Amino acid sequence: MSVAKPLPHDAAKLHVTGAARYVDDMPVPADCLHLAFGLSTVAAGRITSIDFDPVRDYPGVVGVWRAKDLPGPCDCSPSNHDEPLLAGNTIRYLGQPVFLVAATSHHAARHAVRAVKMEVQKRDAILTVDEAMAAESRFEEGPRIWKRGDAGEAIDAAPHRIEGRIEMGGQEHFYLEGQAALAFPQEGGDMVVHSSTQHPSEIQHKVADALGVPMHAVRVETRRMGGGFGGKESQGNALAIACAVVAQATGRPVKMRYDRDDDMTITGKRHDFRIDYCAGFDDEGRLLGVEFEQFTRCGWAQDLSLPVADRAMLHADNAYYIPAMRVESHRLKTNTQSATAFRGFGGPQGMLGIERVLDHVAHTLGRDPLEVRRLNYYAPTKGGAAPRPPAADSPRDILAKKKELEAHPDEDLTSRGAQDVTPDSSPAPTVPEGVQTTHYGQPVEDFILHEMTERLAESCNYAERRRAVAAWNAENPVLKRGLALTPVKFGISFTLTHLNQAGALVHVYQDGSISMNHGGTEMGQGLFQKVAQVAATSFGVPLESVKITATDTGKVPNTSATAASSGSDLNGMAVKAACDEIRERMAEHLAKLHQDNPRDVRFEEGMVKVGGERIPFAEAAQLCYMGRVSLSATGFYKVPKLNWDRLKGQGRPFFYFAYGAACSEVVVDTLTGEHRTLATHILHDCGSSLNPAIDRGQVEGGFVQGAGWLTSEELVWDETGRLRTHAPSTYKIPACSDRPDVFEVELWDGRNIEETIYRSKAVGEPPFMLGISVLMALSDAVAACGTGYPSLDAPATPERVLAAVRKLRDGV
Amino acid sequence: MSPSISLTINGEARAVALDDPRVTLLDLLRERLDLPGTKKGCDRGQCGACTVLVDGRRVNSCLTLAATLDGAEITTIEGLALGEELHPVQAAFIENDAFQCGYCTPGQIMSAVGLISEGSAGDDPERIREGMSGNICRCAAYHGITIAVQEATRNMIRTDKEDAA
Amino acid sequence: MTLHRPESLDEALSLLGGGAVVLAGGTDVYPGLRDGPPPSRMVDLTRVAGLRGISLRDGLWRIGAATTWTDVLRAELPACFAGLKGAAREVGSVQIQNTGTVAGNICNASPAADGVPALMALDAQVEVAGPEGPRRVALEQFIRGPRNVDLRPSEIVSAVLVPEATGQGAFRKLGARKYLVISIAMVAAVVEVSGNAISRARVSVGSCSPVAVRLRGLEEALTGATVAEVPGIVAGADLPGLTPIDDVRASAAYRREAVRTLIARTITDAMEVRDVT
Repeated sequence: MSVAKPLPHDAAKLHVTGAARYVDDMPVPADCLHLAFGLSTVAAGRITSIDFDPVRDYPGVVGVWRAKDLPGPCDCSPSNHDEPLLAGNTIRYLGQPVFLVAATSHHAARHAVRAVKMEVQKRDAILTVDEAMAAESRFEEGPRIWKRGDAGEAIDAAPHRIEGRIEMGGQEHFYLEGQAALAFPQEGGDMVVHSSTQHPSEIQHKVADALGVPMHAVRVETRRMGGGFGGKESQGNALAIACAVVAQATGRPVKMRYDRDDDMTITGKRHDFRIDYCAGFDDEGRLLGVEFEQFTRCGWAQDLSLPVADRAMLHADNAYYIPAMRVESHRLKTNTQSATAFRGFGGPQGMLGIERVLDHVAHTLGRDPLEVRRLNYYAPTKGGAAPRPPAADSPRDILAKKKELEAHPDEDLTSRGAQDVTPDSSPAPTVPEGVQTTHYGQPVEDFILHEMTERLAESCNYAERRRAVAAWNAENPVLKRGLALTPVKFGISFTLTHLNQAGALVHVYQDGSISMNHGGTEMGQGLFQKVAQVAATSFGVPLESVKITATDTGKVPNTSATAASSGSDLNGMAVKAACDEIRERMAEHLAKLHQDNPRDVRFEEGMVKVGGERIPFAEAAQLCYMGRVSLSATGFYKVPKLNWDRLKGQGRPFFYFAYGAACSEVVVDTLTGEHRTLATHILHDCGSSLNPAIDRGQVEGGFVQGAGWLTSEELVWDETGRLRTHAPSTYKIPACSDRPDVFEVELWDGRNIEETIYRSKAVGEPPFMLGISVLMALSDAVAACGTGYPSLDAPATPERVLAAVRKLRDGV
Repeated sequence: MSPSISLTINGEARAVALDDPRVTLLDLLRERLDLPGTKKGCDRGQCGACTVLVDGRRVNSCLTLAATLDGAEITTIEGLALGEELHPVQAAFIENDAFQCGYCTPGQIMSAVGLISEGSAGDDPERIREGMSGNICRCAAYHGITIAVQEATRNMIRTDKEDAA
Repeated sequence: MTLHRPESLDEALSLLGGGAVVLAGGTDVYPGLRDGPPPSRMVDLTRVAGLRGISLRDGLWRIGAATTWTDVLRAELPACFAGLKGAAREVGSVQIQNTGTVAGNICNASPAADGVPALMALDAQVEVAGPEGPRRVALEQFIRGPRNVDLRPSEIVSAVLVPEATGQGAFRKLGARKYLVISIAMVAAVVEVSGNAISRARVSVGSCSPVAVRLRGLEEALTGATVAEVPGIVAGADLPGLTPIDDVRASAAYRREAVRTLIARTITDAMEVRDVT
């Protein structure tokens, strides 16, 4: 059995020899054209004149396109049809593509765009939260508000009360492989597109829409990405559409890749957030009521901002039971890059809000923050009473659903930004007795953080180190240490319920080799390896027998983005379904040949055991072929139990929760604000891990990326709306020397209570939020400088840390 | 003038006519010589994905003009393994899960080979992390990278000793 | 556009002028080349005989213009160069140190150039070769402003010269990340101690003014100071030479505050660490 083994990445040898191909590495014919966008140089305004002659005259230039030259709007939006490929005359952010140049080389295209003469009448840009709020510049008609109980009343009645604000920055994906696409025109107007994308089906849909052809005329292939992190869920659309449109117009292959500065200037990033909070609590620190007001800058277009902001609301409780809660969310429209998906998808921002509240409460009461956190945890859930019968939909609800289900032929239904409704939904969740629910009504039935926290606190010597930190801080006036242990509870599933489906295609060849395809894409997370392990396990063959092929919309249709940590859960199950189907057919045939019962046929160790005989798998495949048994099957999976009404903020949006906890210790130089993470200990829940080596890598990498978001990665826009940090010289992602001096990662060896693939749990996003422990440890260290609460914003650059220290020391 | 240069790439002598003297070594490798294993991450010397060895020293090929390399000896990721036999650093990267998406991996490996031959870091993890800081990994596989470099260093020293004995 | 690779200084000089761009390691030149219009001519100095290496003659250390940062790190140099070596370790990455040159760092004249404060603290001079023969100019005069140096189109820097000196050097850099970072502020010092007090201190600060500066007033105030007295003297010093600005890396206010700590610590490093090579 190959699941649960720590096997290396499927393309390991290709990677270390430089043979692994990414889009930009693919050989292209000599007549291939290369594209570059000409970008706006103001954040808001109107183009008054534009002179392309110098661009057209530039050596190597083959064509120049403005919006009006395109076959249609060429919409790139995954949601709201508000992202034309090229701006018309109205400019909505600095860096918006205004025109497109095709040339015989990448450099020629890039140089040529600089020759343009463009005049723009500037308008006042809306850049900040305050400006957007003042101008009522937002998506949706007003703020989204979800609540449980009367939080205001609960806070007023509480013995203690705090108020505060935390600001947290966005984050550039900085996938090492920049955005890239390559289009090959085919006979009869068909198009083949190679795209570095997490969402081939969406690329297919958007390209077909732009070309005015049915989806069957477009085939999209994605072998791998050099990192995605959410940045390739929708941000690759523009390049693929541009390539396809030019390929259609010229009949030549067309390639486009962004240079790094273009990539950073054009594409969306993680949403930055401001969260205002107010909390009421008792003498021990038990939360009685919490109000959050979340503000996020979504940028110029809607993209995936609504579900991102929803997920921030959905994680505003993190691991804590809050009896009365109100979350108000403002999705602001600003003249900046359109913020997009990024590992965690709003979850980290929402979670950081409540973690700040817990830290602030503990500080106010002078208690250890870990004690206060544990006090507020959801109730432990072992056993539990029988579930109540599900409530049936009322006829009225059914009618309403029917109405919502009216088809929107031009809508990309595979996008997370698609319509609000959940047409295919399970009954409303039932709440077993003794089980608490979240503020949106989902029962928390598998809450294992009590045990996990206990084990981590013990293994990292929390109590002893807490004393040591206090002793250190009493002795040392300049270097202050801080310690924090923070939990993660992250909801797994797309919150747009119908996306929680997947398909797979499996072939067994007559020599016993197996070819496998599914809708998930490989971006380094090890999905292909995990899913191949599932297939190998199903047939009881060694992993080498299984070939994983590039994701291809021609093989598996209507796939969801590889996002929301769902890749292995969805595709693993779909592949398993296909494998099981073939295996059953084989078993039936072989049993007949050997006068055995199909149920007694075993597929193990490369052999098939039937009727007391052991047949090599290849021979078994041949026998089945000779017996005219189909050795090919599709598999399909949909996640059960989901029920979600996002307008009401009620239901069960998640199949289950993934948990984790991290303890970080930092040291702060209180004279310069510089800091260092001395040690991080992590205990993370992957259920029954499909591949502990890959999962460990995800946990380590997620933590480092999360800590980077909260410490060194700072995006700076100037007052004109120009992103000033558009290169790695100014935007600082963690380097090899930035990881903690001591870094221990352990996987929690539990099983998922839900029936996931081999009872594993999703692992892509949850560990990202373990990085919150670093910010909280910094807050703890700064708190040692005085009596006030540090109110440390993120990213906690040396400058912000020093300012917080000064505030505490000098009261300024 | 269209300068022409002769250089040795992965042990093979190559003569190349450069149509533009501004061509970087990185673009020469990827676009002219069919060696796309060396990756373009930032194209401005700040991510290390394009690291190759020039006369045994590690450099960023995106910051190296091809025209200045007449007579130089270049080693890229494609030239590291001896046939099917992986270089000890390559083997250690697989063994220790020192990558996820793989895009920075060729640069990491070439940088590690350079670091080991510089001989200043030994198997001290702190020095290795410093010495590898010019190679960014956004997946943050740094733990595996550090251990892989440590392990490869030890293996190479051991092999050297065995060869000497 | 053409690239020339002269093998002698005279040949190199004959190729200058008319928009020619001089390069050695090229690490600062190429990123600009890629997107700008091509220069008429490029002159690569890496093959010019005698331009690479570090030597001591007649009381002057001579760092040839094509000497890389890695060369500096590997050279056996006296203790006063410890600050320059510290800076060398933090110039970009090892990949950059292997090609980037000391002279290039100076000629690029970035306010954040790592090498400049360390060389200023060493009283470095710049040797310029030109049609009228060589001339020498103090580094402090040579860099006139950001991206602006005292170099005519017909001239090139042939070497950086450092007078032989006793004392201990030190270097510190403030940044958002440990390595591979362009600095928010940096300090270099060369300190001579007799008994337990400073007999002479040379202190230079980068990234806190358009060009790195020597803090002469502070240097005088430090004469006679013991380690314990250094922080107080630095805290109370008037530092008119420092005029930091707000940029994407840090605010002026942060620089102004943090740099004093950095200065005091760098001087202390130089007083306490005696055996750094």
